[in-house]
Amino acid sequence: MDAEALVRATIPHTLEKVLGVESQSHSKAAAFTEAFLKNSIQQTTRHDLKSMLTHKAVILGYTRPKKEKTKRNSKKAKGLNARQKRAMKIFQIKPEHQRYELFLPLQELWKQYIIDLCSGLKPTSSPQFVQQKLLKADLHGAILTVVRSKCPSYVGTTGILVQEFKHVFKIITKEDKLKVIPKRNSVFAVEIDGFVSHIYGSKFEQRASERSAKKFKVRGTIDL
Amino acid sequence: MSAELDRTPRNLLLCEQSSLLDEKNRLSAQVQQLHFSYKVSVLLPECSSAPSHLDSLLSSFSSFYLIRNLPIYELLDKDFLQKAVYPGGVYGLSYRTRIDEDNCVALMPNGHLCLSLDKDSFELLGFEGKPCRFNHRSRSRFVVSIDLTDSSMAPGGRGYLRLLAGLRSRLHLHTDFLLSHHPGGRACLQPLLLRYDWSEHTPEVSRCHLTNLSCPVLQSCDPHSLLEWLGTVDADVSRENSSSSFLSSLVCPDPNTTLSSALRVSVCGLLLPPDIHRLIQELRHYLERPLLGSWVSLTVHGFVDSPVSWGDSEHGVLRGGENFYTLLMFHDHSYQLHLATGAHDTCPP
Repeated sequence: MDAEALVRATIPHTLEKVLGVESQSHSKAAAFTEAFLKNSIQQTTRHDLKSMLTHKAVILGYTRPKKEKTKRNSKKAKGLNARQKRAMKIFQIKPEHQRYELFLPLQELWKQYIIDLCSGLKPTSSPQFVQQKLLKADLHGAILTVVRSKCPSYVGTTGILVQEFKHVFKIITKEDKLKVIPKRNSVFAVEIDGFVSHIYGSKFEQRASERSAKKFKVRGTIDL
Repeated sequence: MSAELDRTPRNLLLCEQSSLLDEKNRLSAQVQQLHFSYKVSVLLPECSSAPSHLDSLLSSFSSFYLIRNLPIYELLDKDFLQKAVYPGGVYGLSYRTRIDEDNCVALMPNGHLCLSLDKDSFELLGFEGKPCRFNHRSRSRFVVSIDLTDSSMAPGGRGYLRLLAGLRSRLHLHTDFLLSHHPGGRACLQPLLLRYDWSEHTPEVSRCHLTNLSCPVLQSCDPHSLLEWLGTVDADVSRENSSSSFLSSLVCPDPNTTLSSALRVSVCGLLLPPDIHRLIQELRHYLERPLLGSWVSLTVHGFVDSPVSWGDSEHGVLRGGENFYTLLMFHDHSYQLHLATGAHDTCPP
């Protein structure tokens, strides 16, 4: 912009004598410029340049107009992908939070939840009914014990279930140790008020949220 | 069906010939390693009645105790460990448990406890173990081998507490148990005997006098036919092979001689290697006397259902489960030792 203003500015009087030019008035300058251009450009009588330029559309580039996608996406909340989740460590429990006493209230809550779910755990309620409810229940806060396992060192670990993933259970033991126990090839026992239920971990390898929708087949005996 | 019969399960026969005068002979080591022997049979040729020394020796074999329904965690009892296991010399074996179906327990004199468990029991117990070497593809049997003299298995140690918790609360293992202790006898086993129902037994001795026994010439006989012949004598199988009887077609191997009389003595029970050792020495003295038979045969059978055969090696039953050895002693202090095992066994020492 500055350069253009400079070009269009009038030459100062001091330079007129030096350069040997004289600035013309506005109308005279316009007429001179037009006449000069007419003489310089090759006049082709065949083509009427002005009309050509006014009516023709010159295609310079080819682009499709972009569809408006951003409007739809902004309504749905963007989740984090697995890498971001791992980097943010949202599912990790900090060491100062890994204490058994902190999870005891959760265990009480879970007991109440299960008793409500099975509409009161009476000794007369049928095991079938309770099993059906337990299959779809959420197990966070239950006290799990590994009863049988193909790997002997897992057998006997007991604790409150803190997190349930697709393939593992994370359990906190009384010694404030967070143990990760794979579900496969193990049998877990869940105890509620004297009612003990055995869970075959190999058949339980779904996320807790997806398990509520899954139908379980009835099998006679299951070998580890 | 016929394909199965064509392939009989293999058995292993190890033959050794040496002399008792040679100081490098391994006879005492081999005898010592078969911890659990069930039956000893002795064949004395040209003998009409048992010599008195032999009789007294046979009746002085250590007695053994049968404890009914012993829970196995009692074998980890502190008193029992102090009195019986740590000094060495305790022999224990579970009774009437089949090695291919039930859980079997063996306690060896060097302080090793061997549990042979089926798959469910092993998964319940929760102690480290290895799958059985035979039939390892189907993984249906597991062997837990524990050294009770090790520092981690001392009472109060980590391994001890884990095994005790496993046997007490997770896997309730009860079996009848045969127990014996070599130098100590009943006093060492007192901690266990006090609390459970037990009965004392002495090995049964039976004698039989045979007449007109055809016997092969031992030096020129091959081991398989010799062992077959000894088996027929021991089991009272007729060797006539008459055309009218189809029960047995076994014959005495040729060339053969006829003995006018022979004595067959057998002892049954939980027999301990030190006693068998004394018996071998006594038979050696018997052979030194002139005018009597020039050879003696002694066969020692191990238990079919024991989890271990020689030393600590695993033992299994496929169709026979035999593990035995036959010692043929001659007048000139030389001997032939034939060690035989069945299919699910490793090579004897």
